[in-house]
Amino acid sequence: MVDPLQAESRQADEAPRQRFVLEDTGFNEVPKKYRKFYRKWRGAGDVLGPNEAMCPVCKVIIRSSRELRPGDRIYCMPCMSRLVVVRGESGALEAHVSY
Amino acid sequence: MAAEREVHDLEPEAFLDEVHSFEFWFQAVEGYLSGLTFGHRPATVEVPLGEDERQRLITVLCNYCVGETAALEGASGLIAVAPNRQAKIFLSTQVVDEGRHLEVLLHRMRELGVEDPEAEVERRASRSLRLFRQRLLDLVAGKDWEAAIFAQNVILESLEFAVFQGHAERADPVTREVLLGIVKDERRHIGFGENELGRRLQQAPHTRARLSEIRKELDHLVLDTLGETMQEIGAPDDERQRLGRSYLDCVRRLGFA
Repeated sequence: MVDPLQAESRQADEAPRQRFVLEDTGFNEVPKKYRKFYRKWRGAGDVLGPNEAMCPVCKVIIRSSRELRPGDRIYCMPCMSRLVVVRGESGALEAHVSY
Repeated sequence: MAAEREVHDLEPEAFLDEVHSFEFWFQAVEGYLSGLTFGHRPATVEVPLGEDERQRLITVLCNYCVGETAALEGASGLIAVAPNRQAKIFLSTQVVDEGRHLEVLLHRMRELGVEDPEAEVERRASRSLRLFRQRLLDLVAGKDWEAAIFAQNVILESLEFAVFQGHAERADPVTREVLLGIVKDERRHIGFGENELGRRLQQAPHTRARLSEIRKELDHLVLDTLGETMQEIGAPDDERQRLGRSYLDCVRRLGFA
């Protein structure tokens, strides 16, 4: 028997990914051509979008033009970290460092 | 029109080559340092400080200078020891960053009325931090790449990153701008340290025991200074713990906790 929660998760993973148009957020710590892929955490009340994850090393928000899913590889250029997207214990997506 | 390239589609080796390059560094710092003079906007208005507050700030800046000098000397010595071209070029950019940090901090002391900042550093700097600096330089002189990177780019830089951020939140406007500029550089330094060490530990897990000993020996020296500094800048206890945690998170990710 298929676990309904697993089935729901599989369906979500197989659905087409949402796409996002990234605009400059004023982040200025990487070369211009990469700036739209990053932003600063705006503090309490800030919410991560489905295309965003926080770098655990330097706490910058990493952005993608695609919705993120577990297993995706993302890069934090401000601190030069390679990361993998995972689903955390809370159910939210998190980025883990991949050395 | 061709689809726009997603940065996350870069191959891992291409990403590492890009972010360790001098060209990347140059274009990155251009974004936040252009228009600044000695780390702050010339138009930023100086807020008068009370004498007690000025003295405490000078003491804190003296300690920052010792940390930055340690990192300047350490990073420059490590270029010869670095195991590959990427690490050598990255360290050359770190040397430039550390030299700039030392210069802007000494200049800030002059702006605060200190006639001879280097003599003031000699007079006021914390004993723990001086000991840390000497031990780091011993590790560099011994060509111990993993231990020196651990001491410099993980222990020292992580704590500087946390302290400068915490201090910037409550500093006068000029000091705040100087510190925030340094924090932006420190992101690269802590990231380099954690990632380089993470890769080395995967290749040579036996190194972990040796680094644990280094940690036992050194991190209390920096944590002591963190405590002293946070007291000088009037940070509450819970913030001291929060700042210490960011360092502990890093060592836990590397498997040392």
